Amino acid sequence: MIKQILISDPTLRDGNHACAHQLSLEQIAIYAAAADKAGVPIVEVGHGNGLGASSLQVGLCKETDKDMLETARKHLSKSKLGIHVIPGFATIKRDLIRAIDIGVDVIRIASHCTEADITQRHLGYVRERGKEAYGVLMMSHMASATVLVEEAQKMELYGAEGIIIMDSAGAYLPSDVQEKVTALVNGLKVPVGFHAHNNLGMAVANSITAIESGAKILDGTARGFGAGAGNTQLEVLVAVLEKMGYVTGIDLYKMLDASDIAEDKIMKNVPIIKSESIISGLSGVFSGFAKHVTRISSEYKVDPRDVYRELGKRKIVGGQEDMIIEVVMDLIRNRK
Amino acid sequence: MKLAKNKVVFEDCKKSCTEIECFSILDNQSILVTGGTGFMGKWIAEMVSYINETGNYNIKLYLLGRDISKFKEEVPHLAEKPFVSLIKQDVRYLHNLPSDVNYIIHAAGTPDNREHVSNPLKTIETFYKGTQSVLDAATRLTDLRKVVHLSSHQVYGKNETEQFINENAFGAFEALNVASCYAEAKRIAETLCSHYKNSMRLPIVILRPFAFIGPYQDLEKPWAINSFIRDAMLGGPIRVLGNGLTQRSYLYASDMAYCILLSLIKGENGGIYNFGSKVGISLNDLAIKIQNQSVSKIEILSRSSKDFDNVSKLVPNTDKITRQLNFKETITLDKAIERTILWNQLNND
Repeated sequence: MIKQILISDPTLRDGNHACAHQLSLEQIAIYAAAADKAGVPIVEVGHGNGLGASSLQVGLCKETDKDMLETARKHLSKSKLGIHVIPGFATIKRDLIRAIDIGVDVIRIASHCTEADITQRHLGYVRERGKEAYGVLMMSHMASATVLVEEAQKMELYGAEGIIIMDSAGAYLPSDVQEKVTALVNGLKVPVGFHAHNNLGMAVANSITAIESGAKILDGTARGFGAGAGNTQLEVLVAVLEKMGYVTGIDLYKMLDASDIAEDKIMKNVPIIKSESIISGLSGVFSGFAKHVTRISSEYKVDPRDVYRELGKRKIVGGQEDMIIEVVMDLIRNRK
Repeated sequence: MKLAKNKVVFEDCKKSCTEIECFSILDNQSILVTGGTGFMGKWIAEMVSYINETGNYNIKLYLLGRDISKFKEEVPHLAEKPFVSLIKQDVRYLHNLPSDVNYIIHAAGTPDNREHVSNPLKTIETFYKGTQSVLDAATRLTDLRKVVHLSSHQVYGKNETEQFINENAFGAFEALNVASCYAEAKRIAETLCSHYKNSMRLPIVILRPFAFIGPYQDLEKPWAINSFIRDAMLGGPIRVLGNGLTQRSYLYASDMAYCILLSLIKGENGGIYNFGSKVGISLNDLAIKIQNQSVSKIEILSRSSKDFDNVSKLVPNTDKITRQLNFKETITLDKAIERTILWNQLNND
């Protein structure tokens, strides 16, 4: 029996976290064309936090959503164009209608792992337009397997064709992935997916554990280009999956070429697991905070590791970037 | 287009209404429908309109609902009928009913499971408090002949056998499941009916609906047949989510409306009836049927988390409605799909 895995590549979306949302249209065009050539099934494009997220709060994007999507659309013929949508950042009227009109094929509606309720209208609208709709539960390490199943079941009822859990903090060990993905596969009718971050060096291993536990969708980025310590390195993942007998539809050599192009043309720095990223992963802090924590810690001369520890203790989630400065101020006050 | 659309519905009513003379008993009587502005309410109004016109009867209809203005906008031809009176009312806070009401069809509350998981407390309240309000108000009517309570097949719990479900079936329940509030609320509503029948001597009939399809049903509702038809109308692909071997059955809307009206006059006091189509079909076969009716060649995609050990089968045994109500399905599933697509095309135009 063919073991098919659906790969979604958010290099041009999660990667935007790694460069403070400064990917240019030219870079988007270059990588989209390379990924398309390699046969990557879904290429996700946009601001790191998704459609409509460009703001002072989470970071201003160099390019507009419209320009990014139109550029990517032009350079994707075989690959589907995907977007990440967090209701609140993106509204149906202002953002989603236009994105679908531009030609987006796959729409992943995301919420914090305990807030699936906010995705009902967006998922309904995407299905109404006949596009592929997925539900995404972010920061999934913050909820138990039981809660994740309940939230995922809501998304399934809202019309999601698959549910992806994100290890947004890179906090999982393989045993965590096994527990949660198994529970989701048992509790859902639609396919389950996994999106990893590499803070503890477990991204590829965790992705493999996910599919061995029944997941059918995996995310990965060229050179792991993504928030914090980066994501699952896609070219490695494709090679490992090939070795294990899984089919992805991606041409390995062309994927290796695409990764080389990505490293050369779109990455100022290739993601590595920095010391801070390890503490971020251990503390369970959203990987998208990395740039903000580094900048604010350096400005106020506090140890970023202490900042991560405190953010983790306070269970701060994506979208609460303004809490970083508050934590830093508290650390300074306590020091005095 | 409006005329063509209404003609589709009129023809469907004509086909389903095989025994018009039996409705003479409803002549000069008043029927109140809760949830009267929804899918069932609209179809009951269409069928009563057909019966009044064709049989030269005077059946009066009160349609009670929360969003009267939407109803007037969507179906002005029904809202303007002289035999129709609209009552804007949330069923949970209902107190008095018009004093001339002789029959009640209690169909309030949405079966949309997205609403159930997003608003579980409201769901429970609508079915529990709403049913109690209706039945309390019914006890104050002086010339009440019958109450038909629309329950749900979900009161049966899970059925993972190959058997048709009969009225005595009882499957497993998951009270803690996110969507269970609907099934549990429907069960308590049936218990309320039983109490009002026993203690207050209300003449109550319970119908347990399965799945329906037809005009006036939003294709954006999250049920398989609606999604398949919508996907097909958008040019595909049709996406089969979960276990494609799952068995369902679909009764066409005009047959549905006719059967509800039959239950008013022929339903046995205290009787419980399965209400749906006995013709089961797997989701995979349903997708193929819809694919075959599409003008362009469209793809069918299957998406599931796993290989399923059990097949869910929600197909009723309909012997009781056939025998006691003399109800027969007149519109096949193929025809139901064809009519639904046609009506929606006219509606979109």
